[in-house]
Amino acid sequence: MSELIYNFAVWVDDTPWSAMLHESYYMYNWVESTHVLTLMISLGMLFLIDLRMLGWAFPDVPASKIADRLNIPMMVGFTVMFITGILLFYAVPVRSVQSVWFRIKMVLLVGCAINAYLFHKRMNESVSSWDNEAKAPQRIRNGAMLSLGFWTVVVICGRFIAYDWFDCDYPQSAFIEFVAGCVDGQTRF
Amino acid sequence: MPTSILGPYFRTIVTVSVIAAALVFSFTYARNGVYVEIQPLFEWMETTWFGYVGKTWGAAFATIQAGHLIGLAVLGGCVLVSDGRLLGVVLTDVPHRIVVDRADAVFRWALATLLVTGVFMACGVAMKIYYLPVYWYKMLGLACGILFHYYVRRPLVAHELGAINPIVLKMTAIASILVWFLVAATGRWIGFSG
Repeated sequence: MSELIYNFAVWVDDTPWSAMLHESYYMYNWVESTHVLTLMISLGMLFLIDLRMLGWAFPDVPASKIADRLNIPMMVGFTVMFITGILLFYAVPVRSVQSVWFRIKMVLLVGCAINAYLFHKRMNESVSSWDNEAKAPQRIRNGAMLSLGFWTVVVICGRFIAYDWFDCDYPQSAFIEFVAGCVDGQTRF
Repeated sequence: MPTSILGPYFRTIVTVSVIAAALVFSFTYARNGVYVEIQPLFEWMETTWFGYVGKTWGAAFATIQAGHLIGLAVLGGCVLVSDGRLLGVVLTDVPHRIVVDRADAVFRWALATLLVTGVFMACGVAMKIYYLPVYWYKMLGLACGILFHYYVRRPLVAHELGAINPIVLKMTAIASILVWFLVAATGRWIGFSG
């Protein structure tokens, strides 16, 4: 499996646009900056929704209004982050697929998506009974706490990707080599 | 009865004057004397406990950076919601007053998070940022943002919003979004410099 992922990353790395994006100082930095600054729209809106459910923000605004009205800018933000995230991966594919932090981040993003789905499902089922209350019911609050926790770790992992502590071109423990998916005899890092 | 020539805009005019003076100071030779004087402060920052932790444990530094980013995300969310409401594009069916006041309560915590994590990060790389022009642009932007928020925007929106000229309100909202975006963008650019 690791070899398959590695070969795919090498294939992506061989495409001319990947090298061009990676080598373009300004373009790469623009894409990365857009990825980071869009946090203000995507995570900014998401955290306000979560904080509303916990009763820590906008306690006197109906929860459904906050969730509905902030959903559109939040999705716009996540779309931009998704596109710029794909571009960042496209620019540095081999190192990314063998980064422990990138892998944890991807797993957590799946966790975030599942949590968001369950959160909205549970909220839509019951919101009419607690819409004007300062705090949402316990299970909605649990979803909001999970969301805050997951996304905080996603941001931390995103930041850690820039560091080379567990890169495959350094001697690593067998566990790290397994988690990072280091391939024997690999020629690129 | 004679009124002050500055009228009701006294605080705004003083704040804008301070910001203008800071800009003139920053972009002329006037800053050189102060710049040399504060070098020992930055050298001292690296010797503090924050500086020691920031330089010794990369993971601690990166985690605090992540906290800084989360603070930025929440602050950005508050600015966009509050100013978006003043512009009439977000939460239009919730009264201005509620959106502006409730967003401001969260904004305060987000700003405090940014300042605390920012000081920690600055201690870890104090001498690097001392020589980075973009760091000083960010500090200038941050000072402008805080002054603008607390001495122009906040007093303005404390009035009955329906009585304020809508164009003034919209210009204030746009200026607020731009100044905080500038702070975030220059902060990002620090990572690419030096």
